[in-house]
Order: sequence, then structure tokens, then C-alpha cells
Amino acid sequence: MFTEYRPTRGYDEYFSAFDQPRSSLQPLLSSLGQLGLAELNRNHAAAGMLLKRLGATFRLNDSGNKGVERILPFDPLPRLIGLADWQRLEQGLVQRLEAIDQFLGDVYGPQKILNDGVVPRADVESSQGWRPEMRDFQPPLGKWCHVSGLDLVRDGEGTWRVLEDNLRCPSGVAYFLENRRVMKRMFPSLFSGRTVQPIDDYPSHLLQTLRELAPWTDNPKVVLLTPGVFNSAYFEHSYLAQQMGIQLVEGRDLLCQEDRVWMRSTSGLEPVDVIYRRIDDDFLDPAVFRSDSMLGVRGLMGAYRAGRVAIANAPGTGVADDKQIYAYVPEMIRYYLGEEPIIENVPTYLCSRPDDQAYVLAHLGELVVKAVAEAGGYGMLIGPHASQAEIADFAEKIKADPRNYIAQPTLELSTVPSLSEGELFPCHVDLRPYVLRGKGAWISPGGLTRVALRRGSLVVNSSQGGGCKDTWIVDESSAQEFVPC
Amino acid sequence: MLSRVADCLYWINRYVERAENISRFVEVSEAMALDCPPGSAEPWLPLIEANGDRELFDKLHPSATPEDVVSFLVRNEENPNSIINCIAFARENARQIREVITTEMWEQLNDIYWILQESTTFWKEPGQEQLRNIRRACQLFYGITDSTLSRDLSWQFSRLGRLLERAEKTSRILDVKYFLLLPSPDEVGGVLDELQWISLLRSAGAYQMFRQSRQQAIEPKAVAGFLLLNPIFPRSVRYCLERIHETLKIIRGESVPGAPDELECLSGLTLARWSYTSIDALIAEGLHEAIDSLQSDFNQLHEQIEQRYFITANISASPTTLSSAELPCVPA
Repeated sequence: MFTEYRPTRGYDEYFSAFDQPRSSLQPLLSSLGQLGLAELNRNHAAAGMLLKRLGATFRLNDSGNKGVERILPFDPLPRLIGLADWQRLEQGLVQRLEAIDQFLGDVYGPQKILNDGVVPRADVESSQGWRPEMRDFQPPLGKWCHVSGLDLVRDGEGTWRVLEDNLRCPSGVAYFLENRRVMKRMFPSLFSGRTVQPIDDYPSHLLQTLRELAPWTDNPKVVLLTPGVFNSAYFEHSYLAQQMGIQLVEGRDLLCQEDRVWMRSTSGLEPVDVIYRRIDDDFLDPAVFRSDSMLGVRGLMGAYRAGRVAIANAPGTGVADDKQIYAYVPEMIRYYLGEEPIIENVPTYLCSRPDDQAYVLAHLGELVVKAVAEAGGYGMLIGPHASQAEIADFAEKIKADPRNYIAQPTLELSTVPSLSEGELFPCHVDLRPYVLRGKGAWISPGGLTRVALRRGSLVVNSSQGGGCKDTWIVDESSAQEFVPC
Repeated sequence: MLSRVADCLYWINRYVERAENISRFVEVSEAMALDCPPGSAEPWLPLIEANGDRELFDKLHPSATPEDVVSFLVRNEENPNSIINCIAFARENARQIREVITTEMWEQLNDIYWILQESTTFWKEPGQEQLRNIRRACQLFYGITDSTLSRDLSWQFSRLGRLLERAEKTSRILDVKYFLLLPSPDEVGGVLDELQWISLLRSAGAYQMFRQSRQQAIEPKAVAGFLLLNPIFPRSVRYCLERIHETLKIIRGESVPGAPDELECLSGLTLARWSYTSIDALIAEGLHEAIDSLQSDFNQLHEQIEQRYFITANISASPTTLSSAELPCVPA
């Protein structure tokens, strides 16, 4: 099956060189060999049908009943991560989130890090995620980010790095869970000969985390607040609510009275204790944030400030996943924890710094430029793949609004074999593990591996034609020595 | 239970029941049309009347052919009550409350939706096969609901939607045939072709049960009596009304029964009216008028259920929460 497979430049996670598979792969490669490419393709098509039947789809636009529904393209070749490697990543993720949480408590509280000049005050207060309304507020348990998804990549040397922190409403976890179900149903033979860490308990841990946010009651009423059926992540919202057995609500199902949040039920009003919200800060409460929001609940922030309801994640976390602030996270780790970062950032140029800006403008053809508050792969320039016109256009944008842009070297992201046009091709991947923080911290074993299925593309976002793979955390110490046959 | 969820459950079931009834009507009419001698009363337009969509149909098809009628009822995207739209609306409602219904219910509804939307093979089959498969897909949805959904409020609201839709459709199909084909009460029991009545019974899925209930010739009065007043046939108006009344009481859920509220009064009085009468009495006072008032009772029942359970209007609401972003719930 792999006779035609040629790893490209950079780091391939299956093969250290052409026909040199990495040692832990042997059981998988022999299962794949027995399966054969034709059957792999057949099962791949069936897997797509299955996902559609399960309704694991997202809608591309808001065109009502006629919206185009698509599944997130699913690739059957799993991505393997060794246990030792993974345990180090887990430590790094816990460390990073702890520092970020302390940073949030600090900038909305005493602002020591700003007064000490470690992070520039202007960068924080000019961030689109900055919510002055949250000053001097203590969220339950003193935690801000209860559900986070951090994007990790491996560069050309195979070194793990954090590419982005998603601290507001990270999505994708439902695909992570569904992919495993589909793999087990469609490709059971690939699991033979090894133990893959199970992931099915994510919803239980999520529910536990959310319940811990309401210490004022023994039996908190937890709800998931969705913008509604037209949101592209709606499937995930309903899936998680279903898996946790909690109510999925929209803004219009809730109302606030006497500093409490209530649910409109067929038997009148029922109180709500914890809201896992999947809508952005801006839309939460028209009385405090955007007044034209139809998605939120008027008075919600009042109830929140009064300590009568918990919101996950806390409003205001967006200031820490601003791509400009991202550059300071290693500093935060040193400042708050007195430790060196376990997982490094990607080197980042801040266009708001004159020296950085000059360098970026001179090297636009080699760099990746990102708008600081955009997500989903929008507002990016990938220098090596861009036309002269696009580059010139971005140069103007940067000069006009330097605070809005950062730049990073174009990483040679690691590759994993994937089915592309019916054949195996090395496609670039990233990884989004999910970190839950209530009283303790819990990390999903593995995470959502996103893959750029367009040959040669570096963009893994689903909005840009990316897909996903199942991710296996495997114990390599039990792996056989591989003997090429 | 959230009012919005109750609303969705109710409509999922109304729409699925509606799709099932339409496929029954068309299936039977197609079969019957083959038996009709040229120039006899065609079954087609009454079918459009039965669904109350005559106006829209005439606008879309000024000179109607039987094929137009069938495609209007089954596949026309501009007709909100076409089968394809009923299934799409039912699924859309289900999509909004996927966490409440069982996965198997969702999969069944999702399957039939995608088949109707995308299957190239499905629409190539003979019409009769298509309709049978749609009908069975709807029945399978109910079977799955029956065997997987807990008997809590979600079940009760599902049942309510299904029963109201069914009673309404049974009364309509009867009324249309009866009224269109028999303009004056004097002609009742007269010259109508037995085929018409057999097909009417089949449309309501009642042919066999009617036969079993009385071993005599098929006559219009008996057919009307059976479909309206039979206490044990599950698609008769009387049977549905009895279950609707029962379901409303369960939803209200008082441990100690108090005075009946407005909604309970309405369902109780309607039930009494159709329980304690005879087909002869109904015909004497004018069957068409009686069915007309029945249908206005159905509409009132629907409105009061909506007011009472879906809108939660009896609590003070802030302006933000007043949202009219409802799915197109098409009142029949």
C-alpha cells in the first residue's frame, strides 16, 4: 500500500525516510496492508455515509432549510502519538493553561503583570477580547478557562509547538469523539495488536467540570446555550447536550429575574445554575455587550456578577487568545509560575513593534501573516503561496493597522499519510487537545487531528477545506521491533 | 421541559403524520384512477381540497393534470405541505432538539430526509413504490418512537401532535369526498360508486377494519360513521379525540384534579360532542356543517395548546426573549 508513498520535506509521522517506517507503526502497517487500498477507499466512502446518517454535519451558510450541509471530511488513517511524548505534552498544556488563567485573574484584577511592564498595557486594552466590564470580578473557583482547545503543531524537525490558544468557545470535540466511533465501526482491524487510549469519557468529565462551577448547590442545573440550529457548530452543541443529558437551550428559552436565570418550561419557570455557553461574549447580554444581540439573555451578566449563575468559559477570556497576547504566554509562564515553558510557541513577530514590522514587510514572501482576532483560517496570508498582488495588499493592511497583525515563519508542518484522490499522500496536520479545568484539570487523550486534504495546502481549518483524523495515544514501549519484509 | 422543545416535538409528529397521510391519499388515488371509467369523477382535485391547498395549487397549475397533482403533493418545494417539505420540516424540528429524542429516532428521520433529498434511485421507482416506502418510513419512525422514548412529557407532546394531525386529516378526507361528490343530504346513500367509498376507506387505512366491523355492503353512511365515531379504530376522529383529552390531562399533571381549565373544557366538550351522537343525527343536521365545526374546534385546540405550553406567555418577558424565530409551523 505504501510502495508509492513519498514523504515530502519536513517531518513525516509514519516514515522517517522513504520505506523506513517508524518503529511503533508495525501493527498498524500490517493491518493496513491486509486491508488493501481498494477496501480502504470503499470503507472510507461508507464512513462518510455513516457520518451523514448520524447527522455529524455542519452548515455552510444561513440559508435556512436549504442550507448546504456537509460532513467534516474524515480520513481513515489514524495519527499516532507515543505515550511518553503525550505525557510531556499534557504537562505542558496544564502549565500553559495555569499561567493563562492566572494572567486573566491578574489583568481583570490587580494588573501586576501590566504594572511590572512584562506585558504592555496597551496591547491588552486594545485587544478585541478585552472586556473592561469584567474588572474586579471573581469567577467561581477563580478559574476563567474551563474548556479550552490548544492548537499544537510539529515543525520540520518534529518539535511540538503551540500554534494558537482557543479560550473562548473552542469547537471540534464532537468530531473527535465521533471519528473514534466511526473508526471502530468501519476499521476494527486497524486496532488489532495495540491498545489505544479510550476517549469516550470526555462528556462525563465535561459535565463534572461544569457541575463543579456551582458550589452553592448540591444538584446544579446545567444547560448548554447555543446560538441555534443555523450555527455551523450546531451539531456539536446538540451532540454534547445529548451525551451529557443536559438541556440544550437558546437565548429565547431563558430569562433573568431577581438576579437569577430561569428556563421557560411547560410548567412555568425553572432555575438554571450553570451555563456552558457556545456563543461569544458580545452576544451574551444585550444590556451589557452588543445591544442588538438576539442570541443572549438580557440581565445575564447581572445574575453572573451576583454569583447566582456560572458561565463557562468566563466572559473576557478572549483577551488571552488574541494572537498578539499569545506571543507573551511564555513570559506569563515565567512570571506567574517561575518555570520554563514545556511547549514552546512558534516564533512570532508583532507588527506593532517597529523593528518587527520592518522585518515582516521585507520578508512577506516567506512568512505567514495573521489577523490577531480572526479564527477559522480567515484573514491570513501565506507568503510562499501568495501572489504579488496579495502580498502588496497585505503590506498595506499591516501599515494601516499594525496592532491587528502578527507574522510567523512558514512552518513545514509534519505530515501523515492520508487518502487524497484515492491514493495515499503526505498531508499536513495539526492537533487540538481539549483541556477541562474545574476543581482539577483533565485533558482528552489525544484530540482532534485536523488535516489539510488539499495536496500541498498548509491550511487545516474546516472552513478552508480541511478534514480530520482519529488520533491514537499508544504505548510505544510495548511495540515490536519492526522488521521490513 | 422547555416550551420550545415541546413545540418541536409536537410539530415533528404533526409533520410526519401529515406526510404519511398524504402518501396514503396519493397512493390510493393513483390506484383508483386506474379503475375510473373515462368521464367519471376524477379523484384528483378533491385530494388537493382535502389538504386545503387549492388556492396555491391553482396558482401554480392553471390547467391541472393528474401528474401535476401528484408532484404538487409529493415533491413540490413551493407547496409547504408537500411530503418532501413535511419531512424536511420534521427533520429541522428534530435537529433543534436532537438531545431530547433518541438517536434511533433521529437516524430514521434523517435517513428518509436524505433519501427524498438526494437519492437518485428512489425517485426512479414506480410511484406506488415511492409512496409505499414513504408511508413505511413514517410508520417506522413511530414504531421506533414507541419502543425507545420514555413515557415522559416528550412522549406526551409527541402523541398530542400526532393525534391532532390524524383526527384532522381523517375528517378532511371524509368531508371533501362527501361534500364534493354529494352536494345535497338527500342523496346520501344513493348512487355513489362503491369504488369511491372503498378508496376512501383505504386512504384512511380503514378498509379492513371497516369490513371486519360489519359484514354488509359498503354504504356511505356507515363509512362516515366508522371514520368519525368508531370508538376503537385508531384513526377515527372519536378515538383520536379521546386520546387527545387523556394526553392533555397527563400533561397538565395534577396530583389532585382541580377544576378543568379552558383547554380541558374544550377538549372534553369536543370529545363529548362526538362520543354521544349517531351518524343519523349528524346527517340530519348536515354532516358538512358538523365537520366544519369540528375543524374549527381542532384549530382552537391547537391555538390553546400553543398559548398554554409553547409560548409560555403567562410570565413576564423582557423584550430580548420575545423572538418570533419559529420554524414555519404551517397551520393546516
